[in-house]
Amino acid sequence: MAAPRLTRRAFLRLLLLAGIGGGLAYAERRTQPAGLSNFLRWLARGWLRQQQPPAIVALAGGLDYDENVLRDALEDLWAQAGMPEVAGKRVLVKPNLIDWMEGRPIVTAPEVVAAVLDVLQARGAAAVVVGEGPGFRRDAKPLVAHSGLARVLAAHGVPFVDLNYDALRPVPTRDGWFPRTSTLWLPRHVVEADLIVSVAKLKTHHWAGVTLSLKNLFGVVPGARYGWPKNILHVNGITPSILGLRASLPPVVSVIDGIVGMEGDGPLLGTPVPHGVLLAGADPLAVDLIGAQIMGFGAEEIEHLAIGTWAGLGQGFHIEVRGAPLEALRRRYQRPPGKS
Amino acid sequence: MNAALADRFLEQTQNPDGGWGYHPGDPSMVEPTGAVMLALADGSDGSDRPAWSRAHAWLEQAQHPDGGWGFGLEDPESHWATAWAILALARRQPDTPAVRRGVRWLWEVPVLRIVQRDLTEEIARGLGIDPAIAGWPWRPGEAAWVEPTALALLALAAAGALAENLPRIPEAVRYLADRRCRGGGWNFGNPFMLGTYLPPRAHPTAWALLALGQVAPDQIRDEDVAALRHEMAADGGALALALGVLALETIGRPDPQARARLAAMQQPDGSWAGSPYVTALARLALGGGWPWQPRA
Repeated sequence: MAAPRLTRRAFLRLLLLAGIGGGLAYAERRTQPAGLSNFLRWLARGWLRQQQPPAIVALAGGLDYDENVLRDALEDLWAQAGMPEVAGKRVLVKPNLIDWMEGRPIVTAPEVVAAVLDVLQARGAAAVVVGEGPGFRRDAKPLVAHSGLARVLAAHGVPFVDLNYDALRPVPTRDGWFPRTSTLWLPRHVVEADLIVSVAKLKTHHWAGVTLSLKNLFGVVPGARYGWPKNILHVNGITPSILGLRASLPPVVSVIDGIVGMEGDGPLLGTPVPHGVLLAGADPLAVDLIGAQIMGFGAEEIEHLAIGTWAGLGQGFHIEVRGAPLEALRRRYQRPPGKS
Repeated sequence: MNAALADRFLEQTQNPDGGWGYHPGDPSMVEPTGAVMLALADGSDGSDRPAWSRAHAWLEQAQHPDGGWGFGLEDPESHWATAWAILALARRQPDTPAVRRGVRWLWEVPVLRIVQRDLTEEIARGLGIDPAIAGWPWRPGEAAWVEPTALALLALAAAGALAENLPRIPEAVRYLADRRCRGGGWNFGNPFMLGTYLPPRAHPTAWALLALGQVAPDQIRDEDVAALRHEMAADGGALALALGVLALETIGRPDPQARARLAAMQQPDGSWAGSPYVTALARLALGGGWPWQPRA
């Protein structure tokens, strides 16, 4: 019997298949260590985001730390930004309390936390707690006292939870940003929240460029499991850790305290910038992009914001700014060391 | 201090499984359980207390097949909490199989050590450290940090295991010396960051002094003691004061003012800050001190 002959058409088909296989192998190699499936999913989701409606970020300027003024301003921003309904929900308010250094504006001002609590309580949140797991302190209680937050909590009847020592729950990592970790152990008050309000500080950061409402989420990672200052996040990489936490947590909305910001060697050793701005929005990526612009950074300068936009982890392509005009509030913050 | 009231608080907050959480009613975790066991054994080996024996059984149950411990029963990874478990178990008997397996885990846990010259020079410029010198990490394979290094040294000393792996001990002492902040004391890891010196913090400084007191007291400087006194006073929290007083009493440099301040923070229920963990450390600090005497 004669051996089957390879026809021209069959040869071209084989060539095509070899080309596709080779292309996939090349793409797989080029997308390591993220993995081809993650890469394609992020790419597709980013493309879909471009077809979706804009995120809304609400801005206010000319503010100081007068609690009554702040409460009214945040109430306006909350409505303008189309924040989600909080009535009947369990809400975790997560300020930035990374450390305390007298005279340095490194933490979210307690007056801003007070305004957030006012808004949440006025809108009927069922249970509100304020929680933080400081990266550079073994005990958050002195930070709460020194920063003035204790007074605010007492006035609002809201408890504080040191997230470094909360009971822990296993949470599967989602979206491929922690390639060597399938499970994160996270505080009960984080996992069980219906909504997290990331109440961040407008600051530079020597590794991430800026620390706004997404980077602020590092504080939910418990020291009792991962140590101080949460070294797993640096081992995994700052950008994938920021994006991976965002993907693995309950819904997050953002409020950023830029009334006094910080420039230069943030997040701890920078210098104050009296700026008078407050930002709010339901899409943390969009809020942080606007926050970075207000500080004079381009989106491409901040890796986690650029990649988060590309991967569609929020609406970074189309953002509608409401309230105060962005251009009028834009400044040029001094860059952190090594990022000028 | 009302020691009896503190002990009653500790016994009343023990979970039915035998361990303690950081807060009453929270799931049992190794660090608070280890601290409470040391406190309840104050002045004895603890064996006369049923609460201690139940805790001992819980700790043995929580040990992983690799010899280490995670934060609790459900944590599958062994990490820094291993040192706390060894301390608690070795308090009664330092040479049990459980302690030996824990010690072996500590000796064998991998730690990041950077030796390539171009990298070490770059890191020395940016962080002011020699990354070729290693102590112990929080988690296997990561870089060393001050607190897990100090805890590991204390656990190995408690287990009578310091002589088993001599090169690692002097290296850990060199690690602590290398990470010392300018002016004394310790931050969590590096003392320098991108052109700026970092301040010392009370908690890592207290642990480093306790550890050096056990293995290399000649390495303790007056400026370390001054840094701890300053930082624990500035922090003002019960945990910082408890650890600070514990360390200073143990190395023979007591601070009567801090001691009085800590004693005054005991609450009517016998606790400090309502926490079994903080209460245990305060009870130790104001009671018999660190159970193992520093090297002369």
